[in-house]
Formats: sequence, structure tokens, C-alpha cells
Amino acid sequence: MCLGIPGKLTEMYGSEGLQMGMVDFGGVRREVCLAYVADEVKTGDYVIVHVGFAISKVDEEEARRTFKLLEEISELDELEWMKEVAEKSLSGLESDRDPSRDASGTSDIPRPEGQS
Amino acid sequence: MKYLSEYRDPVLARSLVDRILGTATRPRVLMEVCGGQTHTIVRQGLQELLKDAVDMIHGPGCPVCVTPLEQIDRALHLASRPEVIFASFGDMLRVPGSDADLLQIRARGGEVRVVYSPLDALEIARAHPDREVVFFAVGFETTAPANAMSVWRARELGVTNFSVLVSHVTVPPAIRAILDAPDNRVEAFLAAGHVCTVMGWREYEPLADEYTVPIVVTGFEPVDILEGIYMAVRQLEEGRAEVENQYARSVRRSGNEPAQELVARVFQLVDRAWRGIGEIPSSGLGLREEFSQFDAEKKFDLGSIRTSEPEECMAGDVLRGRIKPFECPEFGVACTPERPLGAPMVSSEGACAAYYNYARFQPEEAGEPA
Repeated sequence: MCLGIPGKLTEMYGSEGLQMGMVDFGGVRREVCLAYVADEVKTGDYVIVHVGFAISKVDEEEARRTFKLLEEISELDELEWMKEVAEKSLSGLESDRDPSRDASGTSDIPRPEGQS
Repeated sequence: MKYLSEYRDPVLARSLVDRILGTATRPRVLMEVCGGQTHTIVRQGLQELLKDAVDMIHGPGCPVCVTPLEQIDRALHLASRPEVIFASFGDMLRVPGSDADLLQIRARGGEVRVVYSPLDALEIARAHPDREVVFFAVGFETTAPANAMSVWRARELGVTNFSVLVSHVTVPPAIRAILDAPDNRVEAFLAAGHVCTVMGWREYEPLADEYTVPIVVTGFEPVDILEGIYMAVRQLEEGRAEVENQYARSVRRSGNEPAQELVARVFQLVDRAWRGIGEIPSSGLGLREEFSQFDAEKKFDLGSIRTSEPEECMAGDVLRGRIKPFECPEFGVACTPERPLGAPMVSSEGACAAYYNYARFQPEEAGEPA
């Protein structure tokens, strides 16, 4: 029931003293009450809508930041994997490996360099 | 960016799963509070991916499921009255009362209408001044601002044939009740992203402190949920117990203050009975005295309708995370979405419905998720 769907605010208007607007959910347009976000939104913004009410403005900066962070994780995982393969193939030649390479992964996003 | 598809990326999900599996040094028990998150977890087979590293226990965050039978019976009574148009979110229509559900009442001639927004119910009242329109105001904090607005507007516009049957509940007292249970196994919580969009997370900070339990405010897409789990597991492994915010694109620490303000003007804290859990002090919202003319319980004198919960349904154990739905002997046998014994089997957020629709069999029999 707490389903909230992001949509793009395309129009804002008052209706009998209540701030309303039209929101486009990927092609489906619906009237939405903006009373709780009126101070912070403008047309073109994304809002999260629950039972006909916008309950927040989607923070694009945050959305982008989180997503970039996540994308880095998956790219870096690949780098880590390549590095591991390389290290394994070299392990016969190297006698003393840095023990911190075996950290259990509790650290934050690993950097490809500087971690080991 | 559309803020949706990105958070369904399977490559990202896979790498988060690897990260969780690599971080947990022993099996961890987490609870996602919200029924919407439960459905994502079960539908996407996230539990299977997490193997034994993390056991996701499903919480009581389905307002339809925790609405007591008594309140359903009151709704059925109102919907049967000839002068009443009963308006409700679609979720409530198939919830079994003592001897019927709202759909059956409609078949018997009661006027039951499904609305998308509480303001739609108010419009029905304005269009039918000769009828009494009652709106079934259920929900958690996410829905409270919308329901509060319908009452506020009714007074503002002088609509006298509109009232609400209130069954509002709030999340933090339920988390407290779960943590206080002597057999509690939950080590960390994923808090519900949209509840916190409205309320912020300040009220979760004392909980994290007092019970030394990590709480991560989490969104609803698969990648959101996996990141929330990863953040919670990391806290457990590092011995931290804080409130963290995974769903920063929607949630701010102080929440949506205009919404909180209107909720506080229309509603006040009341004790509420939770289906299957019992009464939790100060765990619900009721109309303030100055709005009592919009209170359907007073308008129609419903106090005499008293019902106790049926015994065969184990919804209470499911809602408290004590058992998984398939551990109930009636699951899929005497209890199906067509003939439900309890609300969790019919609500779009109910844990039983999630398992019935997406994972009919026990996890080990289910095989690889498609």
C-alpha cells in the first residue's frame, strides 16, 4: 500500500485553493495533489507519488550519486576479479604477498589501487 | 534517468549479492518492514541469491494485513447500509471479514467503490449530497497525509456527508514490539522508504541506540533492497548500530514536514490493535476531537461491533516474522487467494500472497529463479 511511483511533473495549477498538477508516469498522465511538495517543485521535476499525492521531489543529484556509486562497485568488481586472476597466475613467482589483500571485504568501495 | 529502470539492473544486483556474500562472516537475520519490499524480495528470488548468508524475515508492514477483523466487520456493516457509498483502496476489497468481504457486500447490493486517492472519495461525496460517503482510511505513515487531507478538505469545503473509518498504524512501535519479543531473532532492519519519506528517520535513532540494532532506510527496487541489505550487514560486521539512508533520492532526515504538520493537525496518537499481534500502545492514529463529525465510528455508532480473530489463521506468526508463510499448515491448502483465511493471502503486499504467487514451494524445491 505504501507503493510510491516516480513520475515527471508536467503541469501545475490551483484547484479550489489546493495545489494540483499533472504527472507523467512513462506515458500515463494523472492528476496529483502537490500540497506537500509545492514549495520545492517546478514542472520538469520528478516526484514520488502515493495515492494521488506527491510525497517527495526526487533528488536528481542523490539519484545520480547513488547510481554512480553502485555502477563503480560493479565495474570495480570486474577489475578486482581481473587483478585476482593476474595475481594468481603470478603467485608462483612471488614469494611474499601483502596479507592485507585477504581482507574479508568489509571495507567500503575498494579502489583498484592503493588497497593492497 | 527515470529513477526506476536503473535500480533494476541485473549486473549491479549480481555484484551487490557477491559483496553481501563476501561480507557476512556468519548467517545474519534481517527484517524488511514493508510489504512492498517483501514482494520485491520474493518475486525477484533475492532470498535464493543470498543463500544462507542472510535470512530475510518479513515484517508487519502491510496495513491491509494488520487491520483487525473487527474493523473489517465494521466496514462491511457500513457498506451494507442503503444510505452509504463505501469508498476504499482496492486492496481492502477481498480481505475476509467474519462472514463476507467487501466484494461480496457489493454483489449483495451494497455500494462499494474503489478509489485511487482519498480526494476521489471526497469528490464522490460532493457529487452525491443525498448519500453518506464513508472512506476506509487505512495505512501507515505514508498514506496518513493523503487521508488527513481528505478530512481537512471536507471541513474546508463544508462537506457534511463525508466521513472516514480510520485504521491507521505507525511503524516505530511495531519495530519496538518485535525487538521486545523474547524470541526475537532480528539483528537489523530495513526501514520502509516511503514511510520515512514522510516521517524522516529521526524517530528511528533512539531505537538503533537503545536496542543496538542497525536500521537502514531502504527503497523498493531490487538494487535498492540489495544495497540496503549490504549496508545493514556491513554495520553488523563492523559492530555499528546506526540509522543509515540508502534511499537518499527520496528520503531526508526530517522527512516531509508540511505533510507531518497536517497529519498532526487532523490525527492524534491512539492505542491500536494489530491483527495477529494485539494491542500496541500509541501505535496508531485516530481523528482529533475537533474532527469528530468526520469520524464514521461516531457518526454510525459502530462501538457495538466486536469480533475476535479466527484461530486457524497463523497470520500473527507470519506478521511477527516467527514463521514463513509456507510453514503454515493451511498455506495453499485451506487458504488460497480465492478462499483466503487471512488478509496476508489477498493483500498486494501480504507475505502469504507473495509466496503463493511467486514461490509456491519451499525455497529448496523452487529451483533457480527464472
